[in-house]
Amino acid sequence: MIDINVRLKRRDFALAVNLKLEAKVTGLFGPSGSGKSTLLSILAGLIQPDMGHIVVDGECIFDSVKRINIPIYQRRIGLVFQESRLFPHLNIRHNLTYGLNLLSKQNQKFSLKQIVELLEIGHLLKQRPHQLSGGEKQRVTLGRTLLSSPKLLLCDEPLAALDIRLKNHILPFLKRVNEEIAVPMVYVSHSINEVLILTQSIVMIEAGEILASGNFYELIAHPDLLAVAHHLGFDNIINVKVIEHNNKFGYTLVALNKNRLFIPLINTDTGAEVTITVPACNIALSITKLDGLTIQNQLLGVVTAIREVDHRVLVTLDVGFIVVAEITLGALYNLDITLNKPMYCLIKTQSMGYLGEV
Amino acid sequence: MLVDLFKFTPAEFVALLLSVKIAFWCTLVILAPGIFMAWLFARKSFFGKSLMDALVHMPLVLPPVVPGFLLLVLFGSQGLIGKYLNEHWDITVAFTWVGAAMASAVMAFPLMVSASKLAINQVDTKLEVAAQSLGAHPFRVFFTITLPLASPGILTGLILSFSRSLGEFGATMAFVGNIEGETRTLPLAIFTYIQTPGSDFPAMRLVLLSMLISLGALMGSAILERKVMKSLGRGTRND
Repeated sequence: MIDINVRLKRRDFALAVNLKLEAKVTGLFGPSGSGKSTLLSILAGLIQPDMGHIVVDGECIFDSVKRINIPIYQRRIGLVFQESRLFPHLNIRHNLTYGLNLLSKQNQKFSLKQIVELLEIGHLLKQRPHQLSGGEKQRVTLGRTLLSSPKLLLCDEPLAALDIRLKNHILPFLKRVNEEIAVPMVYVSHSINEVLILTQSIVMIEAGEILASGNFYELIAHPDLLAVAHHLGFDNIINVKVIEHNNKFGYTLVALNKNRLFIPLINTDTGAEVTITVPACNIALSITKLDGLTIQNQLLGVVTAIREVDHRVLVTLDVGFIVVAEITLGALYNLDITLNKPMYCLIKTQSMGYLGEV
Repeated sequence: MLVDLFKFTPAEFVALLLSVKIAFWCTLVILAPGIFMAWLFARKSFFGKSLMDALVHMPLVLPPVVPGFLLLVLFGSQGLIGKYLNEHWDITVAFTWVGAAMASAVMAFPLMVSASKLAINQVDTKLEVAAQSLGAHPFRVFFTITLPLASPGILTGLILSFSRSLGEFGATMAFVGNIEGETRTLPLAIFTYIQTPGSDFPAMRLVLLSMLISLGALMGSAILERKVMKSLGRGTRND
């Protein structure tokens, strides 16, 4: 449990945050310059707020009234940044054990062996940081931070510097860390999609203030917040189960509840749980089921919310799960789309992305 | 004739050993304060920093005889500090090899500081923050991260200081004079030969020796630096 109530004023920027974080993983997201990284820096002890207090797990690490300001090296708050920050003069083993060796045996939450296995970095131990790929570096950084037994793990856009392919390679590890290791995490990203893969418990921050916090899918029921989320590039993120692969026709059939979806061919076992994305702008709506159309995925649902954003409209539908479709204002009027109206969601197979196994 | 080039007289041999001894002590003495000062300049901001920086670097631009003279004023047997040292601890530094090492140290200090400062500046502070966040006290961070990563530059500073000390002339001459067996280093021995009619040949012999030592020091440092760079993982590819 983290209790933050801080204020910071700089010449061109002000931050005022009052938050209680209880979820195991909290996604902190907002546009660049919104204060996400500043908030993390304050938690880590890199920036001292003007006033307020921070309590992590019942221990006060900052209090302007009581004049408490625990230095970085005593906070036990782990940091994972966009760039790996591995020590270039130490090999991977010594990088990993840098923080571990500073702890007494009873304070070591994890062993080197445990972390090396979890992150699959055993083959890298004798190498130097400059010999590693970007994705490997981030895994080692994550491992090094975990081995320092932090009470709280702060991730500041750890995947931002990686390309999509590598991101999809790291995210499963982050998920695994999140599931197997009891370290609360605050995960900062300007990509809501990345955040949602790890957690639904999010904090939206804009211009140094908390816009909203709570469960993402409950939050975006509020049209204003949905608009913000959409503006920040929110795609529909859906967890589905692989039914079969069809190599001949190049698709994979997946299922969610009673629905079947065709997605581009992926490489997993059948029966695997995977996460896929569907951009809202790639979902078309239809009043009737259409035959003679190349679009294979046609899901019947009812409209649960309609929100106008800059001449476009975000329509939320319940098709057994929640999806958001983006259409034009013209289409809204022409098709007379209203709340509770049954509609078909048309999704092109090729417009869906694969994020990784759950 | 050629063989004679390597036949050193005992006095010349003493001058060579003395030079090396003085350069060694000079380098050893300025090592820690030089790195500390460099770290201060590279990482901290404080009142009077510019003035302090200028003062440290002054020997580089002053005629060497000026620091030598000032040392004499301070540490001479009648000097402000020299008198005190002499009366209370019976220590004399003026006109001794210790004084020569002091003169060299003053002259070499700015080289040590600027090379180390450059090296420390190049160490990414983000790595230091990362080390602190892993639980390392700033003191430990300095010795395990900053210092090793700055070591190639610090090594350069050491070689430069050692070489500067070997070649020190003006300040030494002013502070400790030209006493055979005590303060007559290689440069002073060469100077003495030049001043003596008919001693061109021994002068040339010591000149060649000086050149050899300098060449060796520079080449040695280049090799050493390459080795250190390699051990830092910067030999093949930049990280």
